[in-house]
Amino acid sequence: MKILKLEKGKLDLFASVVQQFGEVHAPTEHEGKFSFKRLNSWSEARLDYNRTVLPPRKYFLPPRETLFKYREATGYVPATEDLEKRVVLFGVHACDIHALNILDEVFGKGYLDPYYLTRRKNITIIGIDCTPDEHCFCRSMRADFAETGFDLFLKDIGDHYLTFVGTARGDDMVIATGPLFSEVTHSDIVEYKRRSSQKCDTFKLDLEIRDLPEIFELEYQADIWEELGEKCLSCGNCSMVCPTCYCYDVADEVKLGSHDGDRVRLWDSCLFATHALVAGGENFRKTRSSRIKFRFYHKQRGFVAEYGRPSCVGCGRCIEACPVGINIVGVINRLRGVEHASTD
Amino acid sequence: MSRPNVGIFGLTGCAGDQLVILNCEDRFLHIIAALNIRDFAMASSDNDSACDLDLAIVEGAVLSRRDEEQLERIRARSRILVAIGTCAVWGGIAAMDGDTDRSQLVRDIYGECGEQFDTTPARALHEIVGVDLNISGCPIEEEEFLSGISNLLNGDLPIAPTTPVCAECKMREYNCLLTERVDMCLGPLTLGGCNARCPGLSIGCVGCRGPVDDANLESVTALFMENGFGREDIARKLRTFAGLRVVAHTLSEDES
Ligand code: SF4
Ligand code: SF4
Ligand code: SF4
Ligand code: SF4
Repeated sequence: MKILKLEKGKLDLFASVVQQFGEVHAPTEHEGKFSFKRLNSWSEARLDYNRTVLPPRKYFLPPRETLFKYREATGYVPATEDLEKRVVLFGVHACDIHALNILDEVFGKGYLDPYYLTRRKNITIIGIDCTPDEHCFCRSMRADFAETGFDLFLKDIGDHYLTFVGTARGDDMVIATGPLFSEVTHSDIVEYKRRSSQKCDTFKLDLEIRDLPEIFELEYQADIWEELGEKCLSCGNCSMVCPTCYCYDVADEVKLGSHDGDRVRLWDSCLFATHALVAGGENFRKTRSSRIKFRFYHKQRGFVAEYGRPSCVGCGRCIEACPVGINIVGVINRLRGVEHASTD
Repeated sequence: MSRPNVGIFGLTGCAGDQLVILNCEDRFLHIIAALNIRDFAMASSDNDSACDLDLAIVEGAVLSRRDEEQLERIRARSRILVAIGTCAVWGGIAAMDGDTDRSQLVRDIYGECGEQFDTTPARALHEIVGVDLNISGCPIEEEEFLSGISNLLNGDLPIAPTTPVCAECKMREYNCLLTERVDMCLGPLTLGGCNARCPGLSIGCVGCRGPVDDANLESVTALFMENGFGREDIARKLRTFAGLRVVAHTLSEDES
C-alpha cells in the first residue's frame, strides 16, 4: 500500500482538487448532531465529528429509491438517475467502512444488487481517524481499523495526515494533487505508532465476541428477551441508524388513472410490527420480544454463521438512538454474565 | 380505463380532508379525469344523491343519529368505502372525551335546551359499517390519498404506511426529541406517513395520525415520567386524538 503524508493546513486545497472526482459530501453539524451532506463550502465540514445520525449507507441504499418505472407504452424503464452520480464521501470512519464491506457481502455476492453495486463503484471514500466516545465499541467488533473498502484513508499524526492509498482511484487523487503530498519520515512512523496504541486505550466500552454465537444459542430462552420486549417501542430507530442493517420493502406506486407506475424500494426494519406479516394475516414475529430478539440473533448469531463475522461494527448509533436506552453492549454483557460499569 | 362513480362525503368534522382533495391543484384535473364524481356536496351543487357508487370517500366521525343514518345510506349504495382522516378512522378529537355521559355534557354546556340536540358519543366509521380502506391523518396526506385511490382503481391493495413516525424522522436525520429529553414526542406510538412533519420542526408529535400497530403505551408513559413529565400532562397529550384515549383512561384510573 502506498503511504504518503498531507499537511493539515492544505486539506482545504486537497478537498477543492478532489471535487473533480465527484460532488464532495462530508459530515456537517446541526444542533450538536452530525450528518453527511453536500458541502457548500469546505468550512462546513466537521471532520472532528463523533458519529453521523445516519451512516454513509444512505448513499448506497437510500431510504427510498425508484428501482424502475413501468409504462403501458414503453414497458419497463430502469431508473438510472442518480445511480451514475459521482460523489466523494470525505471523512468516513473505520467502522462505517467496515459496515460497507459487510454490505458488499450481502449485495455483492450471491444475488447481485446492481443499484448498490453501481453506487459503490461511483462513490469515492476518503476515510478519516476518529476518537472513540462513550458509545463506541468498534474495537471489540474488530472494526476499528479498515484495511480495505476506501480509496484514501487519512490518519492524524499532528501537523499531517498519513494518507493510505487504497485503490487506483485513490492514487489518481494523490497524483492529481501531486505537490500537496510528501514522503513519510521515520519520526512520522514513530508518531503514528504512538497514536495508534494510544487510541486502543481510549475505548470506554468493551465486550468479548469470541464464542458469542454459542452463548446466544444457549440463551435463546433467557428472560432478557421478554424484558426487552416490554421496554422496546418497536420504533425501529436502532435499525434505521445502523450501518449494517439492510432490510427493505418493495412497493408499486401507480399513477392515478393509468396502469403506469414506479416500483420503489424503502427501508424496512425487523422491529416493525408488520415486518414478518404475510398474506393471509399470519405474522411470524407478532410480539415485540420476538422482534427485538430477532434483531440480536440476526446480527450476532445468524450473520456469523453465514458470513463469518457479526453484522455489527460497534458504531454505537443504536445506543444513542434508542429512546428507552436499550444498549447492545449491556445486553451482550448481561447474556455473558459480565457486568460493565459503563453499559447502563 | 372506465371512470368509476364516486361520492365524497363529510360527516361531523372540519372538512379538512375534503379540502385536501380539492387542494390537489394541478393533480385535481387528473382526479376528475380518472373519477366520475357524482356526489360531492362540498364542491358541487349538482349532485346525484341516489346513484350506485363504485367508491365512497367519507370524512368525519359519527356524532349523531343523522350521521349514522347518512353513513348507512352511503354504505348501502357503495361498492368500496374509504374512511379518510383521523375522525373517520379513529373518532378523532371529538372522541377524546368519549367516556363522559353525553346528556350530561349537553346539559352542562347548553342547559335545558341541550336536551333537544341529536348527539351521540363520537364513533369511527368502522364501529358502524364495514370500511374497506382507512386513510388516517389530520388532515390526510395528499400523496397517500392519491396513491391509495390509484391502487384501488387498479385492483391492488393500497400501500398504506405501517411504520411509526420515528422511522421517517430518522430517515430525515431529525434530532430526536425523546433522546434529547426536550419534549413528549408521540412518534413511537403514532402511525407514520407524514414524513415526521412535527419533529422536523422540533415539535413533539401529538399523534394526529392515530396509533401504529402494537404501540407500546406503557413503556412510552414510563419514559415520559422518567423524563420529568407529570401524569396529567401525559394523559392529556395521549388523549388528544382518540386512538390513544384508552391509555389516558387507564392512567386516570391508576390515579384514583
Ligand atoms: S448494531 Fe448498533 S453498534 Fe452495531 S453497527 Fe448497528 S448501530 Fe452500530
Ligand atoms: S431504538 Fe430501542 S425502542 Fe426503538 S426499536 Fe430499537 S431497541 Fe426498540
Ligand atoms: S423525535 Fe419523535 S418521531 Fe423522531 S425519532 Fe424521536 S421520538 Fe421518534
Ligand atoms: S408528526 Fe405526529 S402530529 Fe405531526 S403530522 Fe405527523 S403524526 Fe401528526
